[in-house]
Amino acid sequence: MVEKRPPRTLGPFHDTFWEYCNKEEFRLQKCTDCGYMQYPPSPMCPECMSMTHTWEPIKGEGTIISHCTFHRQYFPECPPPWHVILVQLDEGPSFTQNPKDQGLPIEELKAGTRVKVAFLDAEDEAGEFKIPVWETVK
Amino acid sequence: MAYDFERMRAVANKVAVVGIGDTNYGEDYRSNGATRRRGAPGAKDAYTYAAEAFQMALKDSGLKKSDIDGVIVDGNLKSEVTCELFGLQPTWGSTQSGGADGMIPVAVMAILAGHCNTVAIIKGTSQRADNAQWGGTRAGRGRLGEYYSYPWGFNSQGAQHALMWQHYMDTYNKKEEDLFVIPFNARRHAMKNPNAVFRSELTFENWWNSRYICAPLRLLDYTMINDGGACFILRRADLCADLPKTPVLVNGFSWETAPHASGLMDRVGDNYYTITKRAADAAYSMAQITPKDVDQFQVYDAFSDILLWGLEACGHAPRGEGFDFIGKHAENLDLTGELPSMTSGGHQSECYIQGWSQLVEAVRQVRHDHEGTDRQVKDCNQSFYIHPGGEGPHTILFNRG
Repeated sequence: MVEKRPPRTLGPFHDTFWEYCNKEEFRLQKCTDCGYMQYPPSPMCPECMSMTHTWEPIKGEGTIISHCTFHRQYFPECPPPWHVILVQLDEGPSFTQNPKDQGLPIEELKAGTRVKVAFLDAEDEAGEFKIPVWETVK
Repeated sequence: MAYDFERMRAVANKVAVVGIGDTNYGEDYRSNGATRRRGAPGAKDAYTYAAEAFQMALKDSGLKKSDIDGVIVDGNLKSEVTCELFGLQPTWGSTQSGGADGMIPVAVMAILAGHCNTVAIIKGTSQRADNAQWGGTRAGRGRLGEYYSYPWGFNSQGAQHALMWQHYMDTYNKKEEDLFVIPFNARRHAMKNPNAVFRSELTFENWWNSRYICAPLRLLDYTMINDGGACFILRRADLCADLPKTPVLVNGFSWETAPHASGLMDRVGDNYYTITKRAADAAYSMAQITPKDVDQFQVYDAFSDILLWGLEACGHAPRGEGFDFIGKHAENLDLTGELPSMTSGGHQSECYIQGWSQLVEAVRQVRHDHEGTDRQVKDCNQSFYIHPGGEGPHTILFNRG
């Protein structure tokens, strides 16, 4: 099933991030000069100001830092109750994304829960894409 | 770069707030009701609110319009338009986004750098009549960090605070119901403030039964959206001798940055603590005071959790022990408590004019404007305002001199 989603950020660097997602690969920019890994996609290394990087695969595992549940509907594509988790990757960067299963009981999204990446088929106004989401690791 | 306290102290107490104005938030909320939209008969616009607030502040200051040689207007207005409509010809005129907490430091610096002597800082907003949104694709004038998270349905400042409060509960073993004391305290003070929008008693049941917007935060943990204006007149402190009101000295400020705009680790993972503590410590050092010297505490309380971040990072309670300080019935935040806080009702009950009303109230308390009423903090000489949120923590400290 293809899920409708609110719009991705596209453009320089973001396009590459999503192209890898479409191959079910979660990759981050890794600075060629200092090795720093970053998210969100950026023209410059925030550590050493290098303008060169490679797209490095990550282990795809992280830890839930916090979670929240939207009850007010802001996006038509995200019906409440809609769970969002703040995940910190083992590699360091963090972001707000979703558990793979929106029906998970809230107790399973507690801080400290280990998660690993998965991909869902999705579609936004720019077309079909694969969106990374997170499965809890038992 | 580290703070240079010697240079910071050289600008402390050199500029004073000599005039304040704020529109009647409660009356405007009721008369300029939800069915009124921009352009509807009787609906006021941002410049009307700004004009009302400016008139009040100028009258309060005892100065003439021609004394105003600096103007900073809030981003809802434009400085060139404001100056044309209000007949001002400043040597320093700028439009700035953000709150008065960012403009007061700029006014102090413009005055001390010799560009002007008297600055009017002016705000007007018709955000309610305009149906402004802080969530969804229409929100976030400009590119907030959460923009990247849209495909996952994450958006709105409130949701960031929901993550923060959840993280705090998980870290310090607190429960959702513990948060009630904060909106309760704000409302208790708004009930005494005839200018406030919400003045009926807030019971635990009212609050608990209000619907979730983004859990664990409820509707009554969120600020309201209303229309209004506010204004401050700041002047070189050595030019204030003959003015009618007690000049209130700006004795400290700081303007830090929380850089994890979308990563959120400094906001959620750290509850703004490290960065807010740095801002607070800088302001204390600039003013050469300690937390014990603060007579009243004002916070940009757009969501209930924010006061907690402020209390702990500003040194009023050890980390994780904010609720122990507040007390079961918020007794330490009451007017007679150890740290009277949100004494006019704050964003949750007085109005949402983006931090301006808290600073207006701070001036009133330090000037003892409420003397003879049940709203005055006794012997109030030092106020401390902090916005531990948004792009980064800002502080403003006022002293009676």
